[in-house]
Amino acid sequence: MSEKNERQLRIVGFLCNWCSYGGADTAGVCRFKQPPLLRIIRIPCTGRMDPLFVVKALAQGADGVLVSGCHPKDCHYAVGNFYARRRLELVKRFLPFVGLDPRRFHYTWVSASEGQRWQEVVTEFSAVIQELGPNPGIGADTPMETAGQAASAFA
Amino acid sequence: MDTLHAHLEALFDDLELVIGWETGYEPLRPTPAFLRSREDLSRLVWNPLCAPNLSVYLPGILKDAKETGKKIGVCLKGCDSRSLGALVQEGFVERERLYVVGLPCPGTVDPEALAEARKSSAPVTHVSFRDGLLAITSRDGTEEIELERVLARRCRRCRHPNPLHADVILGDPVPPRRTEPSFSDVDAVEAMSLEERRAYWEEELSRCLRCYACRNACPLCVCRDRCLAESRTPKWTTQRDGVRDKFLFHMIHALHLAGRCTECGECERVCPVGIPVALFKEKMARIALELWDYQAGTDPAATPPLQTFDPSETGI
Amino acid sequence: MEQAFFLADAELQEALAGLSAQADVWVPASDARKPGLVRFRRFQPGLTVRLDARSLVSAKEVLFPRSETLLRFTKEKDLSVPAGHRIHLDDARTVRPVVVFGCRPCDARGFLTFDPVFTKGPYRDPYYSERREKTTFVSLVCRDADAACFCSAVGSGPADPEGSDAQLIPVDGGYVLRPVTERGAALLEPIGRTAAPEQIREAQDVLDQVGRETVGEGSLTTLAEAFRARFQDPAFWHAHIDKCLSCGLCTFVCPTCYCFTITDEARGLNGERIRSWDACMFPHFTLEASGHNPRPSKVERYRNRVGHKFSYFPARYGQVACCGCGRCVRHCPVSVDIRAVVRDLPAQEEAHA
Ligand code: SF4
Ligand code: SF4
Ligand code: SF4
Ligand code: SF4
Repeated sequence: MSEKNERQLRIVGFLCNWCSYGGADTAGVCRFKQPPLLRIIRIPCTGRMDPLFVVKALAQGADGVLVSGCHPKDCHYAVGNFYARRRLELVKRFLPFVGLDPRRFHYTWVSASEGQRWQEVVTEFSAVIQELGPNPGIGADTPMETAGQAASAFA
Repeated sequence: MDTLHAHLEALFDDLELVIGWETGYEPLRPTPAFLRSREDLSRLVWNPLCAPNLSVYLPGILKDAKETGKKIGVCLKGCDSRSLGALVQEGFVERERLYVVGLPCPGTVDPEALAEARKSSAPVTHVSFRDGLLAITSRDGTEEIELERVLARRCRRCRHPNPLHADVILGDPVPPRRTEPSFSDVDAVEAMSLEERRAYWEEELSRCLRCYACRNACPLCVCRDRCLAESRTPKWTTQRDGVRDKFLFHMIHALHLAGRCTECGECERVCPVGIPVALFKEKMARIALELWDYQAGTDPAATPPLQTFDPSETGI
Repeated sequence: MEQAFFLADAELQEALAGLSAQADVWVPASDARKPGLVRFRRFQPGLTVRLDARSLVSAKEVLFPRSETLLRFTKEKDLSVPAGHRIHLDDARTVRPVVVFGCRPCDARGFLTFDPVFTKGPYRDPYYSERREKTTFVSLVCRDADAACFCSAVGSGPADPEGSDAQLIPVDGGYVLRPVTERGAALLEPIGRTAAPEQIREAQDVLDQVGRETVGEGSLTTLAEAFRARFQDPAFWHAHIDKCLSCGLCTFVCPTCYCFTITDEARGLNGERIRSWDACMFPHFTLEASGHNPRPSKVERYRNRVGHKFSYFPARYGQVACCGCGRCVRHCPVSVDIRAVVRDLPAQEEAHA
């Protein structure tokens, strides 16, 4: 379990299946260059976003959390993202109160055809996270947890 | 007091039981009472030491109650009545099965502040309350202490001492200490830097025992035996004793109370290790107020903001 | 009192620092931000030691941590074995000597409930036993019982030396330290100077006077049978327990509640098996894999709490599993009073209609 000199920065992305996941795919197919920080978790709809996903990721030391779904009024399920944006805005405003940097959390809307826009979103947010550096999270990892992180590339 | 007894006596035939407070193991600790007979009514007490929010019992008691057609009587302070309002809003309580006795509230006592304000530490034998003064009697004599000096934090910021949604209000209305929502304790936390805030919560939460009293005393924590915090599948927290897991538990409580918390302060009152956990929810309440101009439990017909949406909303 | 030492108030910090050289010393101490909040903490110079105050949570965590690692495991990928990996275990542990200094007699006595269960078999718990063997209890003769205390009602009292290795007796200007066991004597030897005869006399007077005090009414030690008779009386349990919130506070602040759960907490290929506090007041405690729960509500759960302490445990070990510290009464959010419940067990006249 060798220590890396610098922990690689990580962004967790929650992307809805119908728009933003497609958008990210479009960006890939078009070979738009993107910074390599993002790890994507596909969710059926931003309406599935539990604000706890954001808080838990940041508390555990993820350096950034990005949520992206269909543009408002374009939700595959009609209204999922209307519910989502209330929750996401609420959690965004709540984070600083508990000592988590709100700049580490970003939510936005990208459609399946907007490969170019996806590239911009990822590039801009990655730059913010690069600037902020590693997230201390809340509380310390136990030694076993730190070992676990090093051993498995993505815990 | 006499009005309360007399009022309920007169009505008792139509009531299944009355939930109120009675003197506990010492006069400083009134304890919730479930009074099922007319004679029991004499045990009822009502004073600034009646801290427990009795609305926490309503969903359970209504679920278990036999359908006798009789109502369940419940005594509620101002803040307790807001919790009832929220429970009605969310369909956990059928308002028409209750008989709500609203008690205008002079404010409740913070036991720690009282212990500090008292000169004697001898066991208390008698307590009375009049004109904003608590008279506390022990073998060292009687001390008079101004209620205002020993008020619970929740009561310092209370805008609804006069119960809402009641069938009857017993007692004269009291002037609210606040007319506008007040978030000065949230402000105090926000005056710290981000780094300081993180350190502050890490230190406060390090004391948490995860006894879950804060959750179980919360009238709006309706999941009861099905709480996410203890579930292993899905697994949100581990059984470790570190700050991170404690923090996650409190985030579960706070986020599940977003746009629902009625600011009754019970979660904070019951914490054995003095963690100001109600601040998390006060921050949530403030966000709900700023974003949606919403105050939980004040309008039984309103839909909680996170259970609905508005397509025309801009800026978020 | 043959042998005794004197420790002046002003020398307390120094003495504790001295003890800390060889052992982890736990003392009641208050938090900087919350002077009223007294808990057992590991001594370090400068800590605000509060021998004058009753601690909020018991000293249980000293011997029985809220969560402790039993063993660590690592999975190593190895396709030559059928499972596809090998598991490496590591249960090495070091046990430091511990001194609990300035607890109350009830705190020390609380561990007498743990002992028969964890150390006497048929299953001896090595984690607890190893720590227990290296722990010394110095308890303070207690002069500030409050309305929740009831040590005398469970067969103890505010000057009870049982379970303690030494006693601290408050006298003018400090404390007289009286060894109770040999381990206690060995511990005190280096830290105190021999007490003067008049100090010993004063201490003896305090001991006699406090020893005569009765804290808590009646006796709660002989109700095992009454409990069994009440077991199936739902009205009785409802009358007492309708107000309970079914949190775990009472069990978590209790010095004698010892229930635990064991879980594996892993991330990636590494993890640990930990033991952490559990409580019979929690629904998961008895939840079965089928989904059935034999104690589906707070009534059955609280009944178990009472039964375990005042009936099942006495039947098996000949003593009640309660030391009368009063914490569950004092800190219960809704002031459920276990004394009242136990006292009412044999009552002929029904408290409920
Ligand atoms: S918050 Fe208001 S209504 Fe509630 S106890 Fe305090 S003063 Fe009374
Ligand atoms: S979260 Fe706290 S303040 Fe809000 S309703 Fe629940 S107990 Fe009351
Ligand atoms: S009541 Fe206090 S100690 Fe218990 S779980 Fe809540 S915050 Fe933690
Ligand atoms: S008796 Fe009190 S402390 Fe114990 S579970 Fe019930 S409400 Fe919680």
